[in-house]
Amino acid sequence: MSSSSSFPGSRFPFAAGGAGAGASGGGGGGGSGSSVRPWGSSGGTSVSSSGKRIQKELLDLNASDCSAGPKGDNLYHWLSTIIGPQGSPYEGGIFFLDVVFPLDYPFKPPMVTFKTRIYHCNVDSTGAVSLEILKDGWSPALTISKVLLAIKAIITNPDPYNPLVESIARLYLTDRAKHDEIAAEWTLRFAR
Amino acid sequence: VALKIVAELVQECDDADVPKAMEAAPALCNLLQSADNTILESALSCLGMLAADAHGKAEHMDRLCESKVIDTAMGLLDKDGWKTLGDDTLPGILGLLKHIASASEKAVNSLFDLGVCDLLKQMITYYSRSHSGSDKLEMLVEFIYQLMRPLGTSGQENATTEQNAHVDQLASIVTLITQVAKCGALSSVCYRCIVVIGNIVELSTPTFLVELQKTANLSSFLTCLLARKNRHIVFQTLEVSKTLLKKHHQFFFESFTKEGVKHVIETIQAQEKNRNSSQKLKRNNNTQEWCLCFELDLDSSSTDGCKIENNAILNLAEEIKKSFVVVKENNKSPHRFGCVLKFVKDFFVRLNRHALTVPTQDLDLCKELSDISRKFLSDELPSTSTFTFAKSGSAKYLVDYLSNGAYLKSNLNNCQDLAQQLKEVQHRLQKFTHLALKVSNGSSVKPLEILVDKLLDALHMSYDSFPVILSDHGQRTRESTMIPLRHSRTQESELLDIKFVKARREKELRSYGGVLPVSLSSKPGEIEAVLWPEVSKGNAQGSSRLMFSYKGTKLQPSTTIFESLVRLMNAGQSDIMIDSSFWDEEYRISYNRNKSENISSSSSCNTQLFAMQEKHEQSLVKDPFFCTLFLGKLPGDVDESDPSYNLLLTLKVLEGLNHFSYQLSMDQQVCKFAEGHLRSLDDLEVTISPIPQHQFMSSLLTNKLEMQMQEGLFEDGLVPSWCVYLVETCPFLLSFSARWKYFCLTVHRSFMGDEASAPDGSSTPDEASASPDEEEESDAPSEASKKMKKHKVTRDNILESAASMMTKHGSSTKTIEVVFEGEVGTGRGPTFEFYSTVGHELQKLGIGMWRGDNARKAGETGFVRSSFGLFPQPWSSVGTSTRGIELSDVVKKFKLLGHVVARALLDGRILDIPLSKAFYKIMLCQELDIYDIPSFDPELGKTVLEFQALVKRKKFLETSSEKTPNPNTDLSYKNVRLEDLCLDFTLPGNPEYELVPGGSDKIVTLDNLEEYVNLIVDATLKGGIAKQVEAFKSAVNEVFALQTLRMFNEEEMERILCGEQDSWASSKLEDHIEFEHGYDASSPPIKNFLEILREFEREDQRAFLQFTTGAPQLPLGGLASLDPKLTVVRKQCDGNVDNELPSVNTCRHFIKLPPYSSKEIMKTKLKYALAEGLGSFHLS
Repeated sequence: MSSSSSFPGSRFPFAAGGAGAGASGGGGGGGSGSSVRPWGSSGGTSVSSSGKRIQKELLDLNASDCSAGPKGDNLYHWLSTIIGPQGSPYEGGIFFLDVVFPLDYPFKPPMVTFKTRIYHCNVDSTGAVSLEILKDGWSPALTISKVLLAIKAIITNPDPYNPLVESIARLYLTDRAKHDEIAAEWTLRFAR
Repeated sequence: VALKIVAELVQECDDADVPKAMEAAPALCNLLQSADNTILESALSCLGMLAADAHGKAEHMDRLCESKVIDTAMGLLDKDGWKTLGDDTLPGILGLLKHIASASEKAVNSLFDLGVCDLLKQMITYYSRSHSGSDKLEMLVEFIYQLMRPLGTSGQENATTEQNAHVDQLASIVTLITQVAKCGALSSVCYRCIVVIGNIVELSTPTFLVELQKTANLSSFLTCLLARKNRHIVFQTLEVSKTLLKKHHQFFFESFTKEGVKHVIETIQAQEKNRNSSQKLKRNNNTQEWCLCFELDLDSSSTDGCKIENNAILNLAEEIKKSFVVVKENNKSPHRFGCVLKFVKDFFVRLNRHALTVPTQDLDLCKELSDISRKFLSDELPSTSTFTFAKSGSAKYLVDYLSNGAYLKSNLNNCQDLAQQLKEVQHRLQKFTHLALKVSNGSSVKPLEILVDKLLDALHMSYDSFPVILSDHGQRTRESTMIPLRHSRTQESELLDIKFVKARREKELRSYGGVLPVSLSSKPGEIEAVLWPEVSKGNAQGSSRLMFSYKGTKLQPSTTIFESLVRLMNAGQSDIMIDSSFWDEEYRISYNRNKSENISSSSSCNTQLFAMQEKHEQSLVKDPFFCTLFLGKLPGDVDESDPSYNLLLTLKVLEGLNHFSYQLSMDQQVCKFAEGHLRSLDDLEVTISPIPQHQFMSSLLTNKLEMQMQEGLFEDGLVPSWCVYLVETCPFLLSFSARWKYFCLTVHRSFMGDEASAPDGSSTPDEASASPDEEEESDAPSEASKKMKKHKVTRDNILESAASMMTKHGSSTKTIEVVFEGEVGTGRGPTFEFYSTVGHELQKLGIGMWRGDNARKAGETGFVRSSFGLFPQPWSSVGTSTRGIELSDVVKKFKLLGHVVARALLDGRILDIPLSKAFYKIMLCQELDIYDIPSFDPELGKTVLEFQALVKRKKFLETSSEKTPNPNTDLSYKNVRLEDLCLDFTLPGNPEYELVPGGSDKIVTLDNLEEYVNLIVDATLKGGIAKQVEAFKSAVNEVFALQTLRMFNEEEMERILCGEQDSWASSKLEDHIEFEHGYDASSPPIKNFLEILREFEREDQRAFLQFTTGAPQLPLGGLASLDPKLTVVRKQCDGNVDNELPSVNTCRHFIKLPPYSSKEIMKTKLKYALAEGLGSFHLS
């Protein structure tokens, strides 16, 4: 569906700066005065429950190598980047992820999709990620930073026993070297 | 034609000609293989006559055998062939085989070699399930009897190995027969069965019988039959018992004692003695009994009927008794049996003692109790005989224990005490559920299943508590597959002439001389309403002011007058056959003033309990089921002394327990967490699963109800009170199909009240005022002649059309059909299409009906997607419009939904709307609670439950604060402080729905978490959807009483309303599709067609069904019940076939298929037609 071509010009649409700006905006405004318009409430002045929660997460977000923040002025639609972990075939790649918060967040998990193509048995060609905590394992106690950490962990250590792409999982189990080679090649092609 | 001549010839030929006629046999056999049905049948009848003629002459028979009659006949029956045979053919074949088998030993042998046993087993199972094949069952049983005969004569002395094998096969048949006899509703079938068994027993060797006892549990079966009232059955059964004892005295004596045969025989003996003495006193009073002999043609010449002399049973019983005594002398009481009985009794006594004590914290006692419960449930129960189980009164004890009988006996006025008791009861339920549903080591069955089996078995002994009442009136053979939804009244309903006279000593009332015609369904209360103004002197108020009695016996207010009369006149009988003279007679019923103020003591207890339930924070106990449980009795007034009562009550309790097992065990888990036994919230899971619903079904009662429903007067009100009672209080005992039939047959009474009453109107009071079910005045009866109503709708504005149609015809008693504006199609197809389109329309995004609608992005169109089914979206009581949707519109749509659902139910339409289980629960008037949220919103449900657990833990820690040093660490939500979750008091997913005024500024903390949880639950399940639900329910009630649906459960409602979900089993395709006009199952285009159908995905299947039938789903019963059957016919085309398109006739379920040259072309054309044909009726 989409590939690296969706981000033609800039490799770092907001990276660290974007997140910082979002954080300061949320902090300063404290809700009503925020530049971020809470989606869904037409005339109300207060930020909805999920909006408050998302703003809080934005404030707390201080991960070093994953960054995330709202895309445009929609608080419920974030863009995040994950840098390929060192020592993995994805090293050096920058992966963009779409994060969409449902209206009943945090009762429902956020929807996370890869916007950058990645050769990985738990991510399919549309960018869908199979991760337990994004489905049945979700709990309101989890936050987006925890989710991003989990995604990072799964990039380093794929779970070939619960794969989304069967063929990649098979290759991972039978011919690890070949798998890593392809993954690195894809990283070079799509994620730089 | 030639065959007919042969048939006549055969008919005329006498004994001497038989050899000649035999020569024709081979030719006839060849004809049997013919595909044509008529030839087949006449050939069969010829052979049948031949066989009958040659009866008793083995040499002729052997010749017949040589000509492969048996092989071909068996070939016809084999491999489910018997299912497809015509109604007349099967009896023909069976009759033929029977004749052959009766005469020739060789034939029997070859029959066994051909696997006749397996075939018979299949057939018996099939017909005993289908409820319509009782006559066929009889034939089968007779056939088996014939098979037995030669085996017996030769088999005993020199039993070859071959014959032993046959005997083994027969043993499994015996098991089946016992089942049939136990559950069969017809006494005659039962009688045949016992005769067959008697023969088998007579002929078999003792060792074989011992084996038989092990597999088929003969003794238990005998007990069951001996408990019946029918004297013929009892007599035969006694004979069998006698032979059994003769054959293997020691063994059967033990098992008889264990299974209670002995006990029953003793009872019978006592009864018979009484009977004899009483009979001597009033010989003349003895009304003629409806005797089985008449039906069985046992002795058609004798006019006095019964062959069994009065003393026969007594004599037989005494004889057996004597032999018991003989045994007793040399055998000191069977120890093991006594042990078990003692254990069982002991267990329940102990249980009960425990139940009577005030709930204590005595841990030792609790532990001991749970230990023996476990031992009982897992070790002892399987080996306990049904008789022991029933006799020990376990059922009663069990219910007492579970419902905590203590509080019933001691009068509790204090609410505090009651709360305590409720808690205790819940506790016990949870414990018991846990034990009963846990699979014990080694066995694969849950103890509850065994328990339920035993109870049902015990219930079979009370065969006579549920008498079937049949009249000789009307058509007794109703087609059992298709039941007309609305009963068309072809004849005047049956009325009884009853003369009401004043009781002799009654002085307060005036006398009333007239004769009133009374309809079958009238109850004393309705008569009273008419009679009271005529006879009363004062004007006393109150409900039951009059008491009626017939010949000195008081009539029960809950039974119809008709039934009371019938039962009184046929006292002592089990099943009742009304003869024609019954209708002509005039009955005298006396009335007097009802003085006893029967405000039962239980009702005050009831109200107290209800008040308590309201206050109780645990919504779990609000369900009616728990009310039954706490009261320790079944609802309604029933005869508590009836032997079946306790069994029914116990079954009801167990069923509820099974039904609520998730709730109960989840609650238990939450408590465990609260008390710190469970560390993490992630461990909050339920490990037990309920046993399937059908385990609770009683085949005996289902059969009886089925039989009663075949009675032609059933719709008119010839419904025995036990039917009504069972359907209302214990619907789980009856099979789904039986209940559905019952619904179809009786629903008309819940909405067309004025038509159901008598023509002159004065005899029966208007049911509209008398019965609470009555909601709707129907149209004038004069219009009733037309059964259909057509209505025109426009496709573009379908919802509005539908709404106007429903307001106009919604409550009509006629079937409504739909025509689309500007289209030619008419009949069933467009109507089905209409219902499914409305269903789709009501699932659209942006109409604010369902949960999940809110998540839509602005401007998005499409359907509300919900993998767990649709559930109403909560609407705040403050705001009336959100995002441009008005609440009033939503309420209107729910009203429409209610109308459509009710109409679809009545007219047998299918709605394509995936409602959630929880919504069906609402439809069935069940209470929803926090445990229902996960069923339609798993994420929210899970979290809310976790919050709930946290609340409980907090409360627990507060009451016992010393135990844990630092409560706060334990009270975090998965290591996160609740404040950090940033939740405020708005409904999740709907920020404008404030749970409290100003809720969006109120942050959820540990201290207000309880309030938050309660508010969410209320908004989601009650307050937030109250208006919508109310609109829906009242709309259904405008058509028929919603209450009548309570006999179904959620899953069944879904089946009824949405059709079969997975009936596209590919193996069945060719069985249920017909091929005509140039096609048969073997033509190449058809083979391709079937292959394509099998390859279809779910979506294609829906499209195909929509294309051919107008509805995307199959009706109840799947393809098999499609009426008319799906038929494929050849489409005649000139020119190139492959350019043609298939076309359909949705009303007759015809698909006209051109004979395409290849499968690929057919597939593309079909798919094209499916895609194009949707949404209009042009491809007709």
